[in-house]
Amino acid sequence: MSDETKIDLELDLKGLLCPLPMVRVSQNITNVPVDGVIRAVATDPGAMADIPAWAASTGHEVLSAGKEGDLFVFLVKRTK
Amino acid sequence: METVEMQTLAGVIDKKMNRQLKQYIDICARCAICKDACHQYVGTGDFKYLPARRAELIRQVYKKYFDKTGRFVPALYEARDPDDNLLDELYDSTYACTGCRRCMYYCPFSIDTAWILSVAKAVLIAAGRGNEMLGQLADAAIFKGDNVAMFEGVITSGFEEIAEEVRAITGNPDHGVPVNKQGADVLYVALAGAHSIRPAAVIFEEAGESWTISMFEAANYGYFYGDPEKARLITKRYIDEAVRLGVKEIVVPECGHAYRVAEFFYEAWSKEPMPFKVSHILEKVDDYIKTGRIKVDKGLIEGTVTYHDPCQLGRNGGKFEQPRDIVKAVTSNFVDLTPNRAEQWCCGGGGGIVAMEEFKDVRLKSGSKKVEQLKASGANILACPCENCRLQIEELNEIHELGMEIWQVIDLVVASMPLPGNKKSAGA
Amino acid sequence: METYLWITSVWGVYLALAVFIIGMGWRIYEWATTPKSAVRLGMFPKPATKTGRFFKMLKDTFIAPHSAKIEPAMWVFAFAFHVAALGAFVGHGRLIAEFPILPELLGHDGMNAFAAMSGSIAGVLMLVGVLFWIGRRTFGPYKSLSVPEDYLLLFLLFGVIVMGDHMRFVYGDIIHADTYRAWFQSLLTFKPMFPEKLLSGNVGWSLGTHMLFTDLFLIYFPFSKLVHTIGSFSSNRVRSE
Repeated sequence: MSDETKIDLELDLKGLLCPLPMVRVSQNITNVPVDGVIRAVATDPGAMADIPAWAASTGHEVLSAGKEGDLFVFLVKRTK
Repeated sequence: METVEMQTLAGVIDKKMNRQLKQYIDICARCAICKDACHQYVGTGDFKYLPARRAELIRQVYKKYFDKTGRFVPALYEARDPDDNLLDELYDSTYACTGCRRCMYYCPFSIDTAWILSVAKAVLIAAGRGNEMLGQLADAAIFKGDNVAMFEGVITSGFEEIAEEVRAITGNPDHGVPVNKQGADVLYVALAGAHSIRPAAVIFEEAGESWTISMFEAANYGYFYGDPEKARLITKRYIDEAVRLGVKEIVVPECGHAYRVAEFFYEAWSKEPMPFKVSHILEKVDDYIKTGRIKVDKGLIEGTVTYHDPCQLGRNGGKFEQPRDIVKAVTSNFVDLTPNRAEQWCCGGGGGIVAMEEFKDVRLKSGSKKVEQLKASGANILACPCENCRLQIEELNEIHELGMEIWQVIDLVVASMPLPGNKKSAGA
Repeated sequence: METYLWITSVWGVYLALAVFIIGMGWRIYEWATTPKSAVRLGMFPKPATKTGRFFKMLKDTFIAPHSAKIEPAMWVFAFAFHVAALGAFVGHGRLIAEFPILPELLGHDGMNAFAAMSGSIAGVLMLVGVLFWIGRRTFGPYKSLSVPEDYLLLFLLFGVIVMGDHMRFVYGDIIHADTYRAWFQSLLTFKPMFPEKLLSGNVGWSLGTHMLFTDLFLIYFPFSKLVHTIGSFSSNRVRSE
C-alpha cells in the first residue's frame, strides 16, 4: 500500500531520540494539506509506540508503521 | 474578552490557592535579586523573563479579584484583568520557564516562582492556551497507558532487540531485558528511547540485580503541560505496574523531572502513599560500584570529564554526590563546573522547552551561561544524567563549536566496564 | 501646633496601632487558615534533622547568604538597613521605660550620649538604605518591575527616617528620651498629654511629622509587601521542607 501512497512531506528523524520523532511529526502535520501524507523515518524504536499513540490521541491516521532494515518508517495522514 | 470569562480565569488562581502560594504572592518585595539567577533573563535581557515579573502577572490578577487591599486600591498594585494582553505575556513567561528554581535558591524569601507558574499554567489551560505540543505529548502517553495491549507487541519486540545488543556487549548469553517479571526487586522505568535502556540493562545484568523493565516511559509531559490530573495518570501507569509486579523499588532513568515527579509529586497528586521506594538509577549504579557489584576501570575514558547537575536532580532532587562519585570512579581527570551543585546554571533545556519550537530562540540564548561554564572547564567530555539537558547541550555544543562529547553517565559506566563487546561508542 | 500633635501623636497613634495589630492578626489568620500545599516544595541542600532545618531557616531569613552571593551591593545596603531598623526599634524602647543596667554603667549623661551616637548611626544607615532603594528603582528592570506600592512605602519610610533624623540631629542635644517618654507613657496610660518642652519649641512640629509618617506607615504595613517581616520565616522554612 505504501508504494502507491502519494507522499507530501518526507521527514528524516534518524538519530532523534524519543519523544522527538513524535514531536517533529506533530510540528509538521500542519505543513501538509488535509488528507496529505507525511513519510517519517526514525531510528529510535520508541517511535513505534509513540507515533501511533500520538496519532490515536490527536485523531490523525497512521497508514503504516514498520521496520525497514534498521529504520522505522511511518506513513501518517493528516485527517483534519 | 468577556468579563465573565476573565472572572472564570481569575477564579482558577483562587481554586489553586494554598498557604505557600498566598505567602509568595503577599511577601515578594520585587527586589529583583532573582534577575541574575535566571539563565533566560541573563541570556536575553528580556523583562518578561525576569522571575519576579513572571510571578507578578499572577499577583496582579490575584490582587484585582481576591485581595482586599487590591480590590480597594487596585492602582497601588497595578492590579489587572487576565485579558489577552496579560495572557500573551503569561504564555511566554510561563511555558518558557524551565522550572529550574535557581531564582528560589537566591531569593531572600525563597519564593518558588516555578510553583506560582504552575498556577499560571492552570490559568492558561483554562483559557484554552495550554501549550499544544506538551498537551499532545501528554495525551499520547495517557493513550498508551489506556491501550497497553495495542502497543505491547511493538514495545516488547523493541526490548528484545535491545536484549540482543546487551548480550553482544556483555558476552553473556543469559543476559537480557526482563519484561513483566513478577516479583522482581526493581522496576526500571526508562525513557522511550533504546539509549536509556541498553546501558542500564548491561549494568543491572552485570550487577546481578533482580529487575524488570517497565512498558512505560518515565517522562511526564503532563507535568510540563501543567495539568496535575494528566500528570498523575501518566505516572500512575508505571505505579500500577509496579504494584502489579510486586516490586520493592522503582528506579527512574537519567531524566531530571522523572525523578522529581516520582519522588516528590506523585504521592501528593494521588493522595496515597507509595508501597515502594523510588530511586534514581545513578544511586543504584553508585552503590553497585562502591559495593563491587560491578567493576569499572579508570583510564578507558580518554580526556577530561566534567559533570552538569540537572536542576531537577540536583537543586530540586538532592542528588549531587552520587553522580559525581560515579564519574570519579571511571576517570582520574574530573573537573567540576563553576558554579556547581545547588548553584549550577540551568542549561536552558528543561521544562519541556526542547519540544516547543516557538521558544527555540530564547532557549538557545539562555544557554549562554552554560556555554561559558563548559568552555572554562577545559573538559572535552560532559556527563549529564538528563535527557532534556543533553538535547539542549548537544545543540549548544554544535552551535558554539565546543567540540565536546555529551554522554549519559550510565554510558560512561558501561564504556568503563571490562566487557568483551565493549566499544567506546556504546552509548552514541 | 498642639492640634497637629494631638492628631498625629495621640489619636493617630491609637488608630495606627489598632489598624496595625488587627491587620497583622488578620493577615496571620488568613495564612494560617489556608491549607498547605500537598506537594513538598523544598529544595537542596537541606539539613537532615528538624533542628538543623530550623536553624537553616533562621540563617536564611536573618542573613540571606544566597542573596549576598548573587548581589553583594544590594545585600550590604539591605542588611545594614534591617540591622539599623532593628536597632532603632529597640532604641525606641526607651520611650516605654529606661533600659536596665546600661544607664547605671554609663551614667545619665553617658546613656544619652550612647543613645545619641547609636541612634545617629542607625538613622543614617536607614536613610542611606532607603535612598539606595529609591535610586535602584529609578532605572532598568527595577523600574519596570516596580509598582506604586513600592514607591509609596519608600516615601513613607523616607518621611519617617528623615523626621526621626531631624529630631536626632537638630534637637538631640536639647531634648532627651525622658521628655518623649513622658508623652509616650501618657499614651500608654490613656491619659494623653504633652510635656511643656515639646510644646514650647519647634520640636513639636518635627515630632508631629515623624509621627504622621509613622502612623501612615503602620496603617499600610499589614496590607503591603512589608508582611515579609513575618512571612519570610514561613517561606524560608518551606525551602528546607
